Amino acid sequence: MNSPSNWHPLALSHSLEAGSSAGTRLFGKELVIWRDTGGLAHVWEDRCPHRGMKLSFGFVRGDHIACLYHGWQYDRGGYCQYIPAHPDLDVPKTFKVPVYSTEERSGMIWTTLSENPADAPEDRGDTLPLRSLYLDCAKDTAIAALGAVSLTPFASQGQADTTVNRVTETLYEVSSGQEGLLIGVQAVTDNRTALHLAIRGSRELFQGSGQRHFLDWALRLRYRIEHPRDTASAPRGATVEVS
Amino acid sequence: MSENASFVFSGKLRADIFVEFARHRAARLDLAIDIGSVSDEAIALTVRGASELVDAFEMACSLGPYQCLVLDVTRRDGLAA
Repeated sequence: MNSPSNWHPLALSHSLEAGSSAGTRLFGKELVIWRDTGGLAHVWEDRCPHRGMKLSFGFVRGDHIACLYHGWQYDRGGYCQYIPAHPDLDVPKTFKVPVYSTEERSGMIWTTLSENPADAPEDRGDTLPLRSLYLDCAKDTAIAALGAVSLTPFASQGQADTTVNRVTETLYEVSSGQEGLLIGVQAVTDNRTALHLAIRGSRELFQGSGQRHFLDWALRLRYRIEHPRDTASAPRGATVEVS
Repeated sequence: MSENASFVFSGKLRADIFVEFARHRAARLDLAIDIGSVSDEAIALTVRGASELVDAFEMACSLGPYQCLVLDVTRRDGLAA
């Protein structure tokens, strides 16, 4: 079952620079993803406990994120450490943002809403970021579409069969011969899904032309998912393997 | 600095809702709270904690929960023991 207790990809790692923040949703729940200047990624509830402002609108300073509204500053644990209007106040521990376990694996930022999470998905080795696609469909529709894709390899000669391997409930691997893409599936809401795509393999081999090759494939994939009745460019069938 | 402050919130209140609201706000602000006399017209209580947070508590309770209308607030300050 795909549930909030599983690990879910929220973004490609490269899309979140150090010292920046971004808002997203998971099962409709609003989350802020932010990366401190030391490079560590964090996923929290996207709401300042003071007045409810989205922390994704805030700004990162060192290992703190500050709310845009009144400047309350929160440390890596989600605890408020400083209130500009009361600089001498010893801020109580009750001023805390709910934080969620966060890991970076396979070129993606992962989180779970569970308080007792299982191990995060295993890292799949070297990856090169492709892009995130945001689709107007349910996650099950997107996953079903992955079962019917055909991937043309970039560097290899000839055409191999495409296989779609379900690594976890939220991570799929589309392969053709020795080449492949990792696709993280994020249930943004009931009817909106994000696919986070990364090329499996080395930067030297795929950077530039290889990225453009697979990006073209990814954009056609989005078109096919959002326009299921347009069969003119329907992909070849592929086998789905469950690991 | 820590302080005690005694309040009487009066108006068109629903005592159970107001007391729950006051307890929740006190917990959020890390204040100790003692509830005194309670009615739908007036609620007396005392809080103890950081003076800035006692002020924040007064502000929150003077607005009150949606179902209550606070018309008057009296406050008596005293340093915490």
